[in-house]
Amino acid sequence: MRSSQLVVLVLVLSFVPLAWSQTKSAAAPGGAMDWTALDHKWLDSEKNGDLDYLGKFFADSYVLVLANGQSYTKKEWLEILRGPDRPTLQLLNPENVKAHVFGNVAILTDHTTIKGHDSKGNSLDGEFNVFRVVIKQNGMWRATGVVMNEDQTKK
Amino acid sequence: MNRAYGLAAILILIVASGVTALGQAPKSAATTGEAAATIAVMDHIWLDAAHNRDAATLQWLFADDFVEVHPGGFIVNKQEQIDQIMDPQRVLNEIHPDDIQVRYISPDVAVLTDTTTIKGMSGGVTYNGPQRVIRVFVKQQGRWRAAGAGIVRIKP
Repeated sequence: MRSSQLVVLVLVLSFVPLAWSQTKSAAAPGGAMDWTALDHKWLDSEKNGDLDYLGKFFADSYVLVLANGQSYTKKEWLEILRGPDRPTLQLLNPENVKAHVFGNVAILTDHTTIKGHDSKGNSLDGEFNVFRVVIKQNGMWRATGVVMNEDQTKK
Repeated sequence: MNRAYGLAAILILIVASGVTALGQAPKSAATTGEAAATIAVMDHIWLDAAHNRDAATLQWLFADDFVEVHPGGFIVNKQEQIDQIMDPQRVLNEIHPDDIQVRYISPDVAVLTDTTTIKGMSGGVTYNGPQRVIRVFVKQQGRWRAAGAGIVRIKP
């Protein structure tokens, strides 16, 4: 191999990671992202106990605030979902998903209907208006915060 | 020739590492700490402006696509939130944050939680005690702005 060919090879290979990183971050630009699909995948995974997905989807900074004001970290919430006190959910359905996108963070609001019960049989049924925060890390959107509120706007 | 291949491999690794490092844009602990302190101050500025009906500061602070979810699930945008704060019917005897925790910070995004004590009535919602809050800040044109907040009452 001639030295000129070697230089070309080095230059070509040097641009590979740059091109890869650009492709990765542009794969789901804010305008093209399907936020409704992301929200459904998130809640379907909670309903079906897909903890592998949730473990990756929740950022380390994840915090969940329930409608009674009680809050859980990622570790605490995943332990509940994999433990004997996990809730049983028949329905966990987000509607009217709206996204407010600010570069590497997006705030989603939705109306979530829950039907189910906790491990003691207490009903969890309700209608909630939910504030969700997702951040972009290494090209992937991940959940970092949730605040739930019982929907009293129609009362 | 072997030496040339070795040099080429080292060069590739150096360039690739540089690109990776650039993509991650690491910040020093000191810089991150300063940013977190700034965000905590922004939390106080936000609530002080709400308490003092300071519309100019709120206009400056809130990003254009600002959104807030209030107790009861009422969702408001930037203008609606400012209008509620400026409403002469509003009564706000007390509002202050405690236990501010910066949960996530990057060069352009910060997410914090706090416990905000509110006593009063605003936007048809009565507040009388501690609320759990997630607040989101974004850096736009070189300065931090509030992007939104989710607020829920802490039930006794």
